[in-house]
Amino acid sequence: MNRIALVALVGALALTACDSGGPDTEIVNLEATVVTDLPADPTSGRDPETGVPFSNNLFTLYDLDAGEVVLSSDDTDDRSDSLGTAWDIGFQGTTIIFNSGTSGPGTVQAQLLENTLFAELTTAPADGYLQDGENTCPGAAFPGGTSAGSPYVICTGGGNGWYNYDSSQNLITPLSGRTVVLQTSEGNYAKVRILSYYQGNPNPPDPMAPTRYYTFEYVLQPDGTRDFATTEVEIED
Amino acid sequence: MIARHCLPLLALLAAAASAQTVEGTIASEGAPVPFATVRLAETERGTAADAEGTFRLALPELGPFALIVSAVGYEPLRIEGAAAEGETVRLAVALDAVTVETDDVVVTATRTVKALEDVAVPITVVSADDLRQQGAVRLSDALESLPGLFLSDDHGTGLQVQGFASDYTLILLDGEPIVGRTAGTLDLDRLTVAGLERVEIVEGPSSSLYGSEALAGVVNLVTSLPAAGREHAGARVRAGSYGTTDATAEASIGRENWSARAFVNRFASDGYDLTPESFGATVPTYTDWTGDVRLQARLGAATLRLGGRATTQDQQGGFSLGSGELETRYDDTGKRTDWSLHPELTVPLNETVRVTTSLYGARYTTETRYVNQTDGSLYYSDDFDQRYAKAEVQADALWNARNLTVVGGGVIDERLAGDRYSPDASGAAPSAQQVFAFAQHEWAPSRLLEVNASARFDAHSDYAARLTPKLSLLVRPSEALRFRASVGSGFKAPAFRQLYLSFTNAAAGYSVFGATRLEEGLAELEAQGQIAQRYIDVAELDAIQAENSVAFNLGASADVLPGLTVEVGGFWNEVRDLIETQPVAQKTNGQQVFAYFNLAEIYTRGLDASVTARPLADLELSASYQFLQARDREIVDALNEGTVSGRDPDNREYRLSLSDYGGLFGRSPHSATLRASYTLAETTASLRGRWRSRYGYADFDGNGIANRDDEFVAATPIVDLTITREFALPTGRLAAQVGADNLFDTTRGTLVPSLPGRTVFASLGFSL
Repeated sequence: MNRIALVALVGALALTACDSGGPDTEIVNLEATVVTDLPADPTSGRDPETGVPFSNNLFTLYDLDAGEVVLSSDDTDDRSDSLGTAWDIGFQGTTIIFNSGTSGPGTVQAQLLENTLFAELTTAPADGYLQDGENTCPGAAFPGGTSAGSPYVICTGGGNGWYNYDSSQNLITPLSGRTVVLQTSEGNYAKVRILSYYQGNPNPPDPMAPTRYYTFEYVLQPDGTRDFATTEVEIED
Repeated sequence: MIARHCLPLLALLAAAASAQTVEGTIASEGAPVPFATVRLAETERGTAADAEGTFRLALPELGPFALIVSAVGYEPLRIEGAAAEGETVRLAVALDAVTVETDDVVVTATRTVKALEDVAVPITVVSADDLRQQGAVRLSDALESLPGLFLSDDHGTGLQVQGFASDYTLILLDGEPIVGRTAGTLDLDRLTVAGLERVEIVEGPSSSLYGSEALAGVVNLVTSLPAAGREHAGARVRAGSYGTTDATAEASIGRENWSARAFVNRFASDGYDLTPESFGATVPTYTDWTGDVRLQARLGAATLRLGGRATTQDQQGGFSLGSGELETRYDDTGKRTDWSLHPELTVPLNETVRVTTSLYGARYTTETRYVNQTDGSLYYSDDFDQRYAKAEVQADALWNARNLTVVGGGVIDERLAGDRYSPDASGAAPSAQQVFAFAQHEWAPSRLLEVNASARFDAHSDYAARLTPKLSLLVRPSEALRFRASVGSGFKAPAFRQLYLSFTNAAAGYSVFGATRLEEGLAELEAQGQIAQRYIDVAELDAIQAENSVAFNLGASADVLPGLTVEVGGFWNEVRDLIETQPVAQKTNGQQVFAYFNLAEIYTRGLDASVTARPLADLELSASYQFLQARDREIVDALNEGTVSGRDPDNREYRLSLSDYGGLFGRSPHSATLRASYTLAETTASLRGRWRSRYGYADFDGNGIANRDDEFVAATPIVDLTITREFALPTGRLAAQVGADNLFDTTRGTLVPSLPGRTVFASLGFSL
């Protein structure tokens, strides 16, 4: 938990005139939260005999509403929190899951938008949401047709989901223009963009850096609307 | 130029008419010469013959006249006669074809000996003199500074031709394919230039003659044998930076009915390390040996030729995995052996037809071992063994001076063994059989025009059969001007891995199967309970196809002045059915099973221009420029639709347009070369410069293309200089040479591992 740094981007607050009679509220711009170096089942070396990497084969589960890790892939003893509905999104290696459908007891609805720039997405789509297990992925394009792939909301495999794999550089980079939109189990809409798969978020990405460390940014609208631009908050005296 | 002289066949016939006229036919060796020019000597009056070679010209004056008859490719002829008033003088004019004497003959473009300037496709020749002058020792040295060619680093030094990766160019030794590629690259550093008479490089597809791999081009290493009465023996040693040494000893002998040449070459290097902060050299230590024998004997009218070559390389390197306390160091040793044997018999059946039967066998094996330095345990081993056997018959029929037909056919048997190419379920090792037939006809209706049509049929046991045609034209409006045009197809067979691979990555858990192994591989995984879900019915799949292209090549060359030649050209290759992997099933471990499919389409197109000048007898200059576009069709379409975005180094996203596209990785849109050689007495200086604009090497912003500045290798200028001095000794000659490659010490770090910076060398050669 203490490895997670929550960084709120500095932005100017947009203040509006307050009503004299009503509750003291103001409209503020929603700001992106950046989560850096979230471990997603990192490997701790290789078996010298077989070359198989050592890892726990566990997901790190994250609660977007609370902005905190529910269960890390390093926590091997008690995994009972994975059965709860607090977590929204889970990471293990390149696989991303959501708490619903075949992946968990929650009610998360999500979709991966293509050709959508994170900053330009000001309103969550009204429909098109799926749960893990319901998706039809671009499994195999072959002469004569295309067949189904994995059923996760974010399809697995290079080029299919959130990342591109460059075998000549052995490099995994987030596909640009791909934005995840979801509704958490608490009913809030959020948009998520993966920034890096490498520890320290090196840019340009460094294939020699330790992998399976996600850096991502997200915007959560806490009021249940689909707006990603602003929200109304109470003014604290 | 040698002009043969013979008397014109001239017939003077008288006929009665009111105005005097001369008419007749123009022919050469019995065939009409179309469109010849007929002119009255010392006047501007004249006419042109028609397509059948007939002409008619009114004579302004009575009495004696003189005609000049000329046509491109023929010796001009002066004919004198006399006409009475009203007479029609009839002539039958016989012209002699110009006989061009030139050393520049090539064999690769048409599988027949042909003058370089008569070839209708783009072709470059590097002569033994060029090789000596620039101090080349390996084939990569010979090709690196040629216009439009680039070397690439990918599991060895490869060659990029017309914007294609190195797997699309066929490399031949005396017309037979050199086998042994790693990740598609045939390492040019494997091949010594010792014993070569010349290197021929044909650009554009030649699959209609050579079959697979001749999609981008063909490089042919041509050896020679001494003429009767000649003997030669020599030795040469060279030493340079990074402990690089090259030594060759050779001997050759030519007799009335036989000739032979043999050499042995040793090439070695200590390697170098561009990343001293980490364990393991960038280029490891290696020693490479080549032995080569060529024989030729006349047996009556027949000629028997035999070529044999054996090479071996030992390599010793190291690398480490992990870092800090977890770092484990490994020794990396590699051994490569390959040999080839090529007997060939040519028998003239009659004055027209000649039949050449050749057998060719080659074998290529590699052994790779990674051994843990701490405990001596074997961490990784990989063996590869490729055998190639071919039998081929080719008949050349020279019907007359205007028609030459070549037909041929043969069979190829290839066998593979190795860790990644295990026997199939029935215990059979991967093997492939292929039959092929080809035909080519060259037709030269006149010196003005030459047409070459060829086609080849290939049927292979493991991919779809195909027919590959090509048509080329050469037009010579004058001796100083040549236009060439060709349209043809090229293909590249699926690589071994795409056909026979049966591989599961132990570390990551995914599996990859070649086309012939997919069904049984999936069945086996399913029987083991490892398949969660199949995406497609693999039994329904069509046979995998060869990657194939349609290509256009256009060019013109003009001898503007004596000693000044200008050439321009353009090429356009549309390539389909490029093979890529796609998942076909999901495994229970969450990973996928991949197979190979014909999917992608690319195009490469470009423009070339070059100028060669010889302002002084001892000074030769040449300069060239190439513009190249090599692009993926799908990406071009997506960019045009505006559906591609990128991220700047601060992770801000923005949309890309076509102008942001850096093209396929490793391709420079602009490149230029400059060469100069100057000879003063016994000393020759050779300066070679090459420059290529930046080229993409990686994708950092997740759109699969090179678009951001840090995704490119910066523009690279390289200048090499070699100085050679020859000395006459009481017996024999001595040649001393010093050279510096990459004079201005250009480096691009680990992005271009083959560019360690400036290197120098000195060599001494002695010949009898």
